[in-house]
Amino acid sequence: MDDESMDAETAGEVMTTKLSETARVARAALVDVAPEPGVSKPDPIMTAVAVRRSFGGITAVDVDRVEIQRGSITALIGPNGAGKTTFFNLMTGFDTPDTGTWAFNGQSLEKVAAHKTAGMGMVRTFQLTKSLTKMSVIENMKLGATGQTGEKWWNGLLPFRWTAQEKAIEARADELLARFKLDHMRDEYAGTLSGGQRKLLEMSRALMTNPQLVMLDEPMAGVNPALKQSLNQHIKGLRDEGMTVLFVEHDMDMVHDISDWVIVMAEGRIIAEGTPDQISSNPAVIDAYLGSHQGKSLLEDL
Amino acid sequence: MLLLAGLAVFGMFAAPANAESAPAEQAASAAPPAEGDVAIKVRVQNQVQDEATGKTNKEPIVGASIQVLGADGAVVAEGVTDDKGLATIPVPVKADYTVKLDESSLPDGFVLVDGTAERQVLEAKFVTSSVTVNYFTGQAQRVTIGWWSQFAQRLADGARLGLVLAMCAVGLSLIFGTTGLTNFAHGEMVTFGAMIAYILNIDVGLHLVLAAPIAIIAGGLFGVAFDGVVFGPLRRRKIGLVSQMVVTVGLAIVLKNAFLWQLGGRVKQFSDFNNQECTSIGPVCITPRDLTTSALSLVILVAVAFALQRTRLGKATRAVSDNPDLASSTGIDSQKIIRIVWILGGMLAATGGIFRGLDEGISPTLGADLLFLMFAGITLGGLGSAFGALVGGFVIGIFVEVTTLGIPIFPGKDWPDPFNWIHNGVPSELKNVPAYLIMIVVLLVRPQGILGRRERVG
Amino acid sequence: MFANILDLPFDAILTQTLSAFFGVNAMYFAIAAIGLNVQFGYAGLLNFGQAGFMACGAYAVGMTTHYFDISFWWGIPIAVTYAVVFGLIMGIPTLRLRADYLAIVTIALAEVIRLVVRSVTFKKYFNGSDGINGFADTFRRVTPFDDAKRYKLYPFDTSNGTGATVLLLVVFGVIAVLAGRVLLGRFGRERSNRGVMWAVFAGASFLVVLVISSYVEYGGQSFKAIIVGWILAAVFGAFVFMLMRSPWGRVLKGIREDEEAVRSLGKSVYSYKMQALIIGGVIATFSGMMLSLDRGSVQPDNYSRDVTFYVLTALVLGGAAKVSGSIVGPMLFWGILSFTDVFLNSLFKEWGNQIGIFGWKFVSNSSQVGMIVQGMIGLMLVLLMVFRPQGLFGNRKEMALDGR
Repeated sequence: MDDESMDAETAGEVMTTKLSETARVARAALVDVAPEPGVSKPDPIMTAVAVRRSFGGITAVDVDRVEIQRGSITALIGPNGAGKTTFFNLMTGFDTPDTGTWAFNGQSLEKVAAHKTAGMGMVRTFQLTKSLTKMSVIENMKLGATGQTGEKWWNGLLPFRWTAQEKAIEARADELLARFKLDHMRDEYAGTLSGGQRKLLEMSRALMTNPQLVMLDEPMAGVNPALKQSLNQHIKGLRDEGMTVLFVEHDMDMVHDISDWVIVMAEGRIIAEGTPDQISSNPAVIDAYLGSHQGKSLLEDL
Repeated sequence: MLLLAGLAVFGMFAAPANAESAPAEQAASAAPPAEGDVAIKVRVQNQVQDEATGKTNKEPIVGASIQVLGADGAVVAEGVTDDKGLATIPVPVKADYTVKLDESSLPDGFVLVDGTAERQVLEAKFVTSSVTVNYFTGQAQRVTIGWWSQFAQRLADGARLGLVLAMCAVGLSLIFGTTGLTNFAHGEMVTFGAMIAYILNIDVGLHLVLAAPIAIIAGGLFGVAFDGVVFGPLRRRKIGLVSQMVVTVGLAIVLKNAFLWQLGGRVKQFSDFNNQECTSIGPVCITPRDLTTSALSLVILVAVAFALQRTRLGKATRAVSDNPDLASSTGIDSQKIIRIVWILGGMLAATGGIFRGLDEGISPTLGADLLFLMFAGITLGGLGSAFGALVGGFVIGIFVEVTTLGIPIFPGKDWPDPFNWIHNGVPSELKNVPAYLIMIVVLLVRPQGILGRRERVG
Repeated sequence: MFANILDLPFDAILTQTLSAFFGVNAMYFAIAAIGLNVQFGYAGLLNFGQAGFMACGAYAVGMTTHYFDISFWWGIPIAVTYAVVFGLIMGIPTLRLRADYLAIVTIALAEVIRLVVRSVTFKKYFNGSDGINGFADTFRRVTPFDDAKRYKLYPFDTSNGTGATVLLLVVFGVIAVLAGRVLLGRFGRERSNRGVMWAVFAGASFLVVLVISSYVEYGGQSFKAIIVGWILAAVFGAFVFMLMRSPWGRVLKGIREDEEAVRSLGKSVYSYKMQALIIGGVIATFSGMMLSLDRGSVQPDNYSRDVTFYVLTALVLGGAAKVSGSIVGPMLFWGILSFTDVFLNSLFKEWGNQIGIFGWKFVSNSSQVGMIVQGMIGLMLVLLMVFRPQGLFGNRKEMALDGR
């Protein structure tokens, strides 16, 4: 067997060794799941049932059922206006559905305020980055840590009660910043960062909350191609650390590259679910995209 | 446009001739009331309705005993009504007093039918050197019907106030709707109208019927100046709303002092339509002047409502006010609409100020005193909605007057303040307080008000 | 006409102005401004009812004698209770809504408080428009200064020096202080410059205080309140400074710029805003207390809407979101006010009870001078917000006001 050609079996072996351990586990768990919208997952970390949200006369979200598999990287895709960000807002408490039930780790999230969901282990980022530009990068990071005694005002007055914890938090923040290659900008105002760097900052800041579920709203938007690759690696790294990732994206390469599962939304409803391969050949999905992008062929992206 | 506005402002300062000092204190005097000495004139009359003609005749009540109390509750002076039903009671200085009619001194069979026996006389009410307090009595058996007539009277008074508030509040609400700015200087826009009308009326000598329309136009120009000179440029420089709100506060301070400088501290009156006696329409007693201004207010408000609902400009205004982003994406020229809103708001505020000045006299804080009620009205009706401002302002006006009348349930029980207000009515010195309570309840229960949109509330 | 200007009593004008820098008005404004700074400068809350908090403190102390008939010292915990309740009443309906609603409700609430406190109906609690007297005796007994004597801030006996030298030193000192502080704002981030700047600042301030304090004196009775008040201001200033450097302050800074971001990190924005509102309010309570202890009486007209706006102007002048701004702002504010007031009044007298220019008499009685001065305050506020919102000591980069 020469080096230029390999038979299918060896190619398959090479493919398998390229996947990390956690990826293999995630995909194995999903292997038996039927590619149907609203299908149940073996170990869901988040579920939503009959969730509906309308604005004026327009129904933004109308989801019968959706479950997110624990430990996987799930992509949420769909044409613009499909309701993906609205869905994020509804799940994390930034908006309230008109009807429906939804739960995280079995705990109902109805009437749970936005700030409490972060405390429960869900963290989200925003489509338009919300890095706090008037604070430095390291201050942004330290803000992310949860359970800080210094954040109560009576403790705030007595430095000895929080300086030790602050040092520990700062150490963790520096570690994360190094991982995301932002450590050299540590003391700069976040406003001086480039768009892509701000995305990284927001992601790393979100990680300071020690989440179980990380929900990223268009992490690739506005990021230059060089940075995209390392961002991919970072997201896979999150799965390696045991977190579940749910992200909204338009960049189909990325979706194909890293997701274990894909959920497709259009006009507020979930029209398809499946592995990346299953989705690329799903006629309903192609329809949804062609329908809203007339003329431009997205087939090559899928 | 700006030149005219500048001229209007300059004109305001070009006639400082009436700058007067704050009320001067006069030495205490024990001599009988001479011309110019400070006194409180109390008139007690019996109102009898002539069944045949429907007219109300007034007969003097002789020998009614009156006490004048100082701010500390001690008796400062006393008097008894003469055969004309008039008691002229000298007081040492112009200050706040309480005038108390001794009801037991009324002849048999006569009781007070209108208002309470205790009346507040505020220092500001001493226009000349005396203040007049009127008491009206009626036959004893009228007391039982009295509650409904009182209610009708309060309703009428409240409607009058409500119409003025509605007019002033529309501009405030539309300015918020189209630009997002809460204008804390809106009270000064109201006062401006009254002041210009006063200057034209008293200094220039125009009859109020001529002075008022000119003042209203000046109010519109004042609105243009606000947007053209201050807030338009601030918006273009992308200065945030919080900063703009603080700028309105600063402007309010400047304007208030400018008005004070121009008008002096005492309450003034227009030279026309004063000293009218109220005529009875059913149970309600209202002066012809107040009747006219109320009717005019109603007509103006209906016209505004019609214009907002039916004309193209009106619909565009409502569109921009309800949803500025959406409106501009449909091709409506938002800047033009904003300019129109400031003009309309200024004109309506000026009108409200003139009507209020006819009713209660002109003072530098005429409008600012109403600001709180305007905000209550807008919160109730919905910030950003013009119709909400109309409805909310009107309801607040009525509410504020009507709550001074208690509901006589559980008679005889004496509850502590403020619970006894339920059957005694809110004391008139505190009659604005219920408006605040309405505001709080609305914000807790339905923050967008009756007609507002939830998304704009935060 | 213009020749007369040189005849004005500049000595008296200067003395009055300088004494205003450290006087009672600057003192109680400083405490109120420190509180308002926590609410507006750091948390971005539009509290237009600060005068209401001040009234809480004043009336708490006043009511200990007028209504409760207990020792004056109880006034302090009572005042804090009033402030907390007041803050809750303000905050609960409004803190989840847009910034405007807090402003509207606080204006309304302050108006209601004013009506209630002045009313005849509630006279037995608050004594209506007469105000309350007679509660300051304990305070006056306890503080160690003699009513009859006059005191200077500078503790040692010193001669005044010739007028010209003093004036020169004052002018130099003020310029050096201001220049140093403004430059500090611009170069503050660079460590090497900082030391030099701080030295300049410290030296110049010392010089200014020395000169001013040797030049002006205060009556013993006022002096008690002045000393206690400024000590309180320093304590609260330090308190706020420490608080803002702590993680709590960091959360507030984040909220000021972007609430949603902070929410997504698990902090309850509503709770922090409420804390800021109440902490700022409790501090302002002491402002009202000190004012009424100095005057010996509680007057409802001292707590009007105008007072809130003047404190706001003083704060913006000094620099919102900087503790130094909240202390120096009121000092400068009252210095300017005092100067203008005294200057115009002197001019008024000098020119025969009027001020006119080119035949146009625009001040014909003395109360109009007050109107000009107050109108000037409004103008100051407008110009500051438009052209220099960070005030004297604030940091433009950190001003998050534009984001809202």
